[in-house]
Amino acid sequence: MSIGVIEIADRVRRGEATAESIVDGAIARISRSDGEVHAFLHVARDEALEQARAIDAKRARGAVAGALAGVPIAIKDAICTRGIPSTAGSKILEGYVPPYDAAVIERLRAADAIVIGKTNMDEFAMGSSNENSAFGPAHNPWDLSRTPGGSSGGSAAAVAARMAPCALGSDTGGSIRQPAALTGTVGIKPTYGRVSRYGLIAFASSLDQIGPFANDVRGAARVLSVIAGHDPRDSTSLELAAGGFEAACERSVKGLRVGVPDEYFAPGIDPEVAASVRAAIGELEREGCSVRPVRLPHTRFAVATYYVLATAEASSNLARFDGVRYGLRVDEARDGEHRGRLDLRGMYGATRDVGFGPEVKRRILLGTFVLSAGYYDAYYLKAQKARSLIRGDFDAAFREVDVICSPTSPTPAFRLGERAADPLAMYLSDVYTLPASLAGIPAMSVPCAPTAAGLPVGLQIMARPLDEATMLAVASAWEARSPARSLTPKMAAT
Amino acid sequence: MSAPKVDRALVLHVAKLASLSLSEAQADRLTQELSSIVAYVEQLEELDTSGAAPMAHVDLDRLPWRKDEPRPGLTHEEALDQAPKAEHGGFSVPTFVE
Repeated sequence: MSIGVIEIADRVRRGEATAESIVDGAIARISRSDGEVHAFLHVARDEALEQARAIDAKRARGAVAGALAGVPIAIKDAICTRGIPSTAGSKILEGYVPPYDAAVIERLRAADAIVIGKTNMDEFAMGSSNENSAFGPAHNPWDLSRTPGGSSGGSAAAVAARMAPCALGSDTGGSIRQPAALTGTVGIKPTYGRVSRYGLIAFASSLDQIGPFANDVRGAARVLSVIAGHDPRDSTSLELAAGGFEAACERSVKGLRVGVPDEYFAPGIDPEVAASVRAAIGELEREGCSVRPVRLPHTRFAVATYYVLATAEASSNLARFDGVRYGLRVDEARDGEHRGRLDLRGMYGATRDVGFGPEVKRRILLGTFVLSAGYYDAYYLKAQKARSLIRGDFDAAFREVDVICSPTSPTPAFRLGERAADPLAMYLSDVYTLPASLAGIPAMSVPCAPTAAGLPVGLQIMARPLDEATMLAVASAWEARSPARSLTPKMAAT
Repeated sequence: MSAPKVDRALVLHVAKLASLSLSEAQADRLTQELSSIVAYVEQLEELDTSGAAPMAHVDLDRLPWRKDEPRPGLTHEEALDQAPKAEHGGFSVPTFVE
């Protein structure tokens, strides 16, 4: 049996279940399912059991357990965990064991959540299918021949397969929302600045944001309320109280204005996805929302804008992987003309050649190119201006509506291998999630009716900066009526 | 925007800037892949951005300055613990001054 975040925490806090028994159950489900799913790169069995016993002892002493008491949580491998390997899905960090916890891990531990393991991901969060993981992709629990999405595919798959009730991912251009949609889970990308990135292995710093996955909206809201909040170690962290997310799930949506952008139903969208999302929006109307069209005219430039800006930032962030302070070091050439001991530059080049996979190299090169002399204005500066226009689209739309609803991904989960040969085709599949990332606004995916073949479909809800509460209210109202609510993949049903 | 031809020489130049050693086969493949990606992003040229300010970051208000005061960090041992090579209490690099 698998139960959700809220129920686990309630039962552990009331003493109806021990944290240890909850962790035992999660470990048993991981042992049973993860051979096929490959959601985890590392299962922290001993650490999790030790932490569970400490929480049980604390309760036995009469102390009050935290908001996530005994709740196992799967952590994307880009998030540093003290004493537990953190590779970001890359060979260049194979075996790296961080000497500190990320801010979000500190907060989870303080709330008595239990880190159950580290999840599979596209290398350095670069990818939409998990196929760029240096350790082999995770598989979609609904159909093992298909992708769970990316880059936080392992986190999404772990939650969908009920190996953990919740997980953390990171979202730079859709890396929480797209895998949530493809696996039938709830995934939230908070407003830029809501959650500290201290201890997140950086991809594109002006876009990266950490957020939760769970099997239900309220569970995800509770995890968000634990990880959100000010942290002086991340200079983009907002000084704001982060509360009321869970209460917002109970709020009425009557009278809310829901915008639907035509640009998000453009040719190329799978007709079943479009129908499922439109049906969900229709239900919101029956709940008392007023639905109206909005225009986001610069949407079609989002992919180009994103791939210039994100790769530029990545090329700079990934310069730190040089074989000196941590991770892989290749200082001897095994073949070629420079056989033997390498000099400093040779060591940098060989370490990065051996340590990075093909997609990471492509993005480092594209990013270095758009920042290089002679091309900066034409590409990088131009894309920064395009980003302003995309943000302007949202500012204008949110003067007329309270939330914007769309599909999260233009298609349901595709087959592993189907798009791997064409990097550009893979980039284009992110078209519906990139704009909210560029604008820095909160956005989430919540399951709607699956396709006839039984593949999950996600409804994306976007809201004004810092208005996660309204977004969660709408998500929760839809979830209560969603035909996806009671569905679990066959492999997790036993 | 003058459309640059992404050729092998450009890829090798950029790879050098990025400290990436590439094999011949990789350089060939990346030349092809980057050509098509750069051709795609050139659609930004169509966009009139004359009235738009460059956006480097999401506008964040309520960002306080951190106090400039010492706080605990990693110990010397912790900092060196994950280094592939450490010598004489420091990170070791190949000789670069003869």
